This record gives sequence, C-alpha cells and structure tokens, in this order.
Amino acid sequence: MTDTTQQELFDIIAKQAKIDVAIIKPESTLKDLGIASLEAIELIFDIEEHFDITFPDQQGANFDSDTVQSLIDAVQKALDEKAAK
Amino acid sequence: MTQGNPMRRVVITGMGAISPLGVGAEALWQGLREGRSAIGPLQHPDADRLRVKIAAQVPASFDPTADIDERTLIMLDRTSEFALHAAREAIAQSRLDFSQNGLGVRTAVVVGTGVGGETTQDEQSRRLYAENSNRAHPLTIVRVMTNASASQISIAYGLRGPTFAVASACASANHAIIQAAQMIRYGMADAAITGATEACLTYGALRSWEAMRVLADDTCRPFSANRRGLVLGEGAAIFVLELLEHAQARGATILAEVAGFGMTADATDIVMPSAEGSSAAMSQALADAGLAPQDVDYINAHGTGTQANDTTETKAIRLAFGEHADRLAVSSTKSMHGHALGASGALELVAVIGAMRDGVVPPTANLDKVDPACDLDYVPNVARPMPVRAALSNSFAFGGLNAVLAIKHAP
Repeated sequence: MTDTTQQELFDIIAKQAKIDVAIIKPESTLKDLGIASLEAIELIFDIEEHFDITFPDQQGANFDSDTVQSLIDAVQKALDEKAAK
Repeated sequence: MTQGNPMRRVVITGMGAISPLGVGAEALWQGLREGRSAIGPLQHPDADRLRVKIAAQVPASFDPTADIDERTLIMLDRTSEFALHAAREAIAQSRLDFSQNGLGVRTAVVVGTGVGGETTQDEQSRRLYAENSNRAHPLTIVRVMTNASASQISIAYGLRGPTFAVASACASANHAIIQAAQMIRYGMADAAITGATEACLTYGALRSWEAMRVLADDTCRPFSANRRGLVLGEGAAIFVLELLEHAQARGATILAEVAGFGMTADATDIVMPSAEGSSAAMSQALADAGLAPQDVDYINAHGTGTQANDTTETKAIRLAFGEHADRLAVSSTKSMHGHALGASGALELVAVIGAMRDGVVPPTANLDKVDPACDLDYVPNVARPMPVRAALSNSFAFGGLNAVLAIKHAP
C-alpha cells in the first residue's frame, strides 16, 4: 500500500474515532481506538465510499477484534481487485 | 408486571399465516415440524446487482386475488395483502360472527409491522427519483401507512373496537399481541384480531441490510459455531384472541392460552443486545403467567443467527431460568422461515401453538457445529416429540426492545 493510501485510511479512522491520527498504529484493534460495533460499520462504509471499493460481507463479522492492519490489507486487496478489472 | 383482571383470561381461537413455507398456518407448521428450510436463492428483479443472494420468500404461488376483491386489492401494499389474507384464515377458523350481539364493537385490531408499506414506498421512490416522474400513485399514502393492515382488517369485518398498528422493529409482533391481550384482560374488548406482517425485500431495504453487515451468505444457522448472520424473510401471521368465557360459551376450539407477557428495554445500545434486558422480560412473562421456571418445557428463541444475539440470548435464558435452563427445549425456527422482522414473533407463535397441539417441538435447522458459548438444548435439526405444557416466545429488537409471550396449553 502506498503511503498516501495508508494516510488516507488513517485519516478516515481518526475522523470516525475522533482521535489524533498519530496514535493509530497498524496493530491497534478498533476496540483499542474506541470504535464500537455500529461505529465500526460506519467506518467500513466511509472507507468503501472513499476508495470506491466493496469489502466482502464477512469482512465485518468481528469488527471489534479487527486490527488497523487487517483494514489496510482489506483495502489493499479491494484496490488490487478493482485495478485488475 | 401487574396482572390485569385475573378473572379475564385470554385464549387463542384462530390462526392464519402466509410464510416462506407456504400459504396457511398449517403449511408453516408442517414445514417447521419437518425441519424444512424455506431459505433459497433471492428472487428479485435487481438480484444481479445485490450482494445479498439468499432470502426466505413467500412463494410465488401466493395469489392475493384468490380471496381479496379487486376494489380492495388496489388499496393494498404487499404487507396488507399478507395481513388480510392471514386474518381471513384466522377468523374463519375461529368461527366468530362479528355481526352478532355487538361483537364487532367489542373487537380490537392490533397489527404489528416493522416498516409498513415498504414495497409501495420503494416503487414510488423509484418513480420519482429514478424515472423523474412528477406524479406519485394516488393511493400511495393509504398503501404505505403503517396502520393500513389493521385498518383493512377492521373495514373487512366491521370491527369497531380499538384499532392501531404497533411498531418495534423485530419485536413488533409480540408487542402487538400483548397490546391486544391487555385490552381483553382489562375489559376494553372481548375479542381481538392481532399478529404482524412484513414485506420488506425491496431493493432499498436489501441494500440497507447489506450495509449493516449482519446478513449470512450461506444460510441461517442459529446457535451454531459457524453461524454467519441472519437471513431476511417475509410473511404474516394473524390470530384471533378471545376472552376465555366468551370462547367457552360458544363452544369454540381453543388453540392455546396467552397466559402472560413481559416487556423491557435494554437502555444500553441501539443494536447490541443485553442479557439483562431480555432475561428481565422473560422473568416478567413467567411471573405474569403465574409460571415457575420448571413449568416451562419449550422456548421459541429469538435466535437470529447473528454472533451477538445467540450468545446473549443463551445467557439471558440462563439468567431467567437458572438450573431449569438445562432441561428446556430451545429452538430457533428462523433457521427455516427466515427473519421476517416485525412479523417474526407472529410466525413463531404459530410454531409454539403447533408444538403444544401436536406435542412436537420444531428443531433449530442448520445447527451442525457446537458453539461453547451457546450451551443449551437447541433441538438440533430434527423435531422432538414431547409434551409442551407451557412455552415462552422471545422477540428482541434493534433499539434494545424485548417482548416475551408466555403461552399455556389450552385449558
């Protein structure tokens, strides 16, 4: 993932969690960042809208334990799939 | 909860249903006791565009023109077609004649629905926003309004008692049935037509559910470790409630007794359920019905098949029932009829009545992997012959709303 893409993703997370972007680390879970279930779904929506991608349904099966890294990976995968089309 | 006039007991003397398992309450019950799932590929004009691929839909063989005249039919959203059809079946079974002895004036109509005339709303929105039409259909309002089903039943049978809709998302049916039973208990009515209806598999609604990421992509597997979410359904079930003495005096066949009920709100989260809130509703229902935990043989669970519901409901049943929880048969029939949202509790009451009448508990279908966090007896996959003296039917809704019915075998 390019630094810009990662920065954009972190900015979206920071905005949703209302936290300083500097405290977001790839290993943080959404729960660590104070993002509870419904906010997590909203976050997924914001990310999909921003990058014009669609996560597979089960991506969101267990948001609370999802890490930022797993979101980075998921965004990257979806962007790759989009580019391949 | 305070009991109404304890002398005024409420019984069920008729039931009707339209469900993914077919037309009629018997079709629904027979499907459930056979463990047959009506979940299948989504049939929808926009199916290609949708991510959701499965649903439990009322079969295309349902023909509203069969027993609803054309002049009435043009007034009806699909929601009201279901409700009116199911009401006809229930009323025919009860053999009540509302034109006799002023019964029409003493009959209430309370019909639950989560969203009301969604098909009409969706069609008209498409017309206005997608097709740039400047005109909505003139019957849009009378089709969409949430009380349309209740009003259409009232008009069809000349029922002049308290008539209204109840909306509490996925608990709408149980909240509606409780309102109807309360009115009979308190002497405001001698009979009531009640239940719930939902027809919400529109493009807009399906897209909205996709966005919530709670839909399963394989099937509905309540309480199973490999569960992946809920499967949307649709349908209606309508019941005739009647004052016990009224039913006995005319020699009516009594299907079951609505012995008690409990209603609570979690007051915690808009979507995440709380075991405390739902167990309190179950305890209230037991107390209101004068039942001890050991008097109950069966619980028809809310059992949506989501991670959160199934573990929380299991905890709640343990909280309310203590040691007796291990001796209860608990099943989620949503594994077969899907989640008809506001109408779910009504379809599930058909299951409870069937279980009591035939002495057979319907199974939880698709339960093939034990989840350590779901450790009750869920009657996996095959119906179980056993007497059911009393049962609870759980309905819990987004918004943290809980409504539980306590049903007893016919006196």
